[in-house]
Amino acid sequence: MEVVQIQRRLVDYTKSLFMEGFLDGQFLQLQQLQDESNPDFVVEVVSLFFDDSEKLLNELTIALDQPNVDFKKVDGHVHQLKGSSSSIGAQRVKNVCIAFRNFCEVQNIEGCLTCLQQVKQEYYLVKNKLETLFRLEQQIVASGGSIPMIEMGF
Amino acid sequence: MAPAFPSGDDRADFGTGGHRQFSFHDIVLRNRLTALVVDGVDFCRLVEQGFLRSCGLETQGVNNGDAAVELIASGAKFDLIIIDMFLPVMDGLETTRRIRALGERCKIVGVSAYIGENDREAFLAAGGDVFSEKPVSPEVLIPILRELDGQYSNI
Repeated sequence: MEVVQIQRRLVDYTKSLFMEGFLDGQFLQLQQLQDESNPDFVVEVVSLFFDDSEKLLNELTIALDQPNVDFKKVDGHVHQLKGSSSSIGAQRVKNVCIAFRNFCEVQNIEGCLTCLQQVKQEYYLVKNKLETLFRLEQQIVASGGSIPMIEMGF
Repeated sequence: MAPAFPSGDDRADFGTGGHRQFSFHDIVLRNRLTALVVDGVDFCRLVEQGFLRSCGLETQGVNNGDAAVELIASGAKFDLIIIDMFLPVMDGLETTRRIRALGERCKIVGVSAYIGENDREAFLAAGGDVFSEKPVSPEVLIPILRELDGQYSNI
């Protein structure tokens, strides 16, 4: 496939992620931090986010599986997940965390379990989308092209 | 720098009402400002430090409150300290109190995933200056940086 075609695919794909709410403006800010002196910044930061989130999701699963759920602990993990997903621009994950926290506050176990399921779903979706995005970028670079900057016209 | 992809679709409005989004590139500092970022999550710290560096600041980062207090106590000087409220072991509020107790008067910005009025009040009572939702945005940070930059220029 020609470089120009892959570039077009990347632009369209990136835009769709914003349109569908998977990513928000924070992700654009991250992309702006990437330059020649820091060419892998976004991939590095996002990879760390993946590691961190998977740890948190495991801990949440364990915490909610206890006979006596420690809601303070659960709230702590959700707090961290909200902070980190916001820092990447993973909007849909962040939004589930907001609902999740509300259920923690009233100690509603059913609500928490539903939110856990939802947040996992959203996390794996955005992970998948970002991995696809990075693959497209790699293809462009491997073909000798440059990654187009998306102008969002904010 | 990669050229913008030439397509008529590029200028789509993403529902921000046509307002131009602030960018961290919008600021040019005249003075050498330094910042300390205190955040227990590695990539969050990378992001926060990255933004500050792109504004022209020299930055240091630590992942816990004790390290921050030690650094200040050892005489390190910063114009700005950004503290995540949710730190491991000693939380952001206590860290802020301890830094102020050392006599440090620099600008302290507290960030948190949740920003209720009680959280804000507690932070201000601990000696913090600005309380912001995480991640800290250009809209919040740039005016602060301009103010700090201006303080030096006025001497």
